[in-house]
Amino acid sequence: MFRLPFTFIITGMISFVLFHFLTFADFAGWVHSEPRSPDGWFHIHLLVLGWATMMAMGAVYQLINVVLQTELHSKRLGYIHYGLFATGTLGLLAGFDQFNAKWIAAFATLAFAGILLFAWNIGATLLKAKLWNPITISTACAIAYLCLTALTGMLMGMDFKFNFLGIYHMRLLGAHIWLGTTGWFGLLITGFSYKLLPMFYLAHQYPVSMQKWILGFWNAAVWLGCYGFLSGIAMFNAAAFSVLIIALALYNIHIGQIARAKHKKTAGAGIEWTVWSARMLLALVIMGTAAVFYNAELASQTSLIVFMLWSYLYGWVAVTIMGYLSKIIPFLWWTYKYGPKAGKAKVPTMAQLLPEKPVYIGLSSIVLCMGGLLAGLGTNNSVMIMTAGMALSVAAVIYMIRIGYVFTR
Amino acid sequence: MLTIYNDAERMERIMNRLREVYDPELGINIVDLGLVYEVRCLQEEVGVVMTLTTPGCPMHDMMVSGVESAVSELPDVANVHVQVVWEPQWIPEMMSAEAKAELGY
Repeated sequence: MFRLPFTFIITGMISFVLFHFLTFADFAGWVHSEPRSPDGWFHIHLLVLGWATMMAMGAVYQLINVVLQTELHSKRLGYIHYGLFATGTLGLLAGFDQFNAKWIAAFATLAFAGILLFAWNIGATLLKAKLWNPITISTACAIAYLCLTALTGMLMGMDFKFNFLGIYHMRLLGAHIWLGTTGWFGLLITGFSYKLLPMFYLAHQYPVSMQKWILGFWNAAVWLGCYGFLSGIAMFNAAAFSVLIIALALYNIHIGQIARAKHKKTAGAGIEWTVWSARMLLALVIMGTAAVFYNAELASQTSLIVFMLWSYLYGWVAVTIMGYLSKIIPFLWWTYKYGPKAGKAKVPTMAQLLPEKPVYIGLSSIVLCMGGLLAGLGTNNSVMIMTAGMALSVAAVIYMIRIGYVFTR
Repeated sequence: MLTIYNDAERMERIMNRLREVYDPELGINIVDLGLVYEVRCLQEEVGVVMTLTTPGCPMHDMMVSGVESAVSELPDVANVHVQVVWEPQWIPEMMSAEAKAELGY
């Protein structure tokens, strides 16, 4: 299967480049300011819906038959899903940009409908395969949380137009962000990593018992955090962060177990940075949680929220996706262009489609700039935020263009 | 690897064709990777029993069609039957010394 995942992935790549073009000129502006503003919503949704979710959906379509060893329930439904989700996202972004409540409500509903079709398609495929393990259960949970994220988002979108949520709007916002970040992205990345990391490390005979513990703790963190935001009882949010730290620590131990069972020198720079980003995330979440335990007022401070969101969404989710893209894009292109020629003629290897050096330089530059941006956010230094943020945009766009160059090989 | 055929020259030609099929991620041919378990020949029919480095390998279909294409190129082969098995499970020790050296294992 090529066209369906390719459609999602190429749309995601375009969104990513657009996000960085728009961010480049205005980094100190929206990054440093209140995220709960139309400008903040526009940029964040361009990144998380237009890029990260689009990419993640493409990766699910590409890898689901690999993970389950069965065909996707319906390709046609996948294309309808794309149409609804892409149109919904585009309209939603326009609604945020113009702060048009009618557009936000209408297109949030359209994007939600697309997500429901995605959940139906993957859910039917999972039920058909009847293969239940930490990988498939994580994927199923992630998609369920994506639906809840979309539902809460759609309710808030409709509230802009019909004004019926009152004080619950802000509570839903907290749950919406928590479900999307930890629930959708968190469980999808951890679940898929149980399959992808051993493949890229050529790891064999590593222990897998920790996967179900990670799954359990991660889900518990999602539920606790969600309940904390909806009820307004901060104790549950504190418990959620503590449980998330346990889940992240176990996840890091497990990916260490996989890396130690490797049978090749290196899995490649993209995978190595993916692993390191999980380690850095654990350290940052421990630091952020400790800071809030020390001074509870910090939990409501915009600067800490922005810092933690950037650490999680860019420092881990985006770096992980970019790392995996260095493998997924050459694989997607190779199977399409060279797969039919395999065994008949000389075909390039994936390493020839995308050499290690540009991946290493690109991702190292991105991580370095990201570190500078987080340092700027942590110390409230506008000059550092502006400089590191602009450098991050340049490095990220060059990296994505280099990855996209594979499609010309 | 079990080979049920006593024409050594023909078997060598088949193995040479199989060495043209690469795991594109690892950059090593399937024979040196130890993925080919058995090759059977009966007149113009060739059967290849092979495995992959992991169940649910994304290259499953490409590897199978690659083997079919590679062996079909031989003039004395009319049909190629590829069977992918998971028992015995592939382990890295099945790789040739050259493959291990290539991967730095």
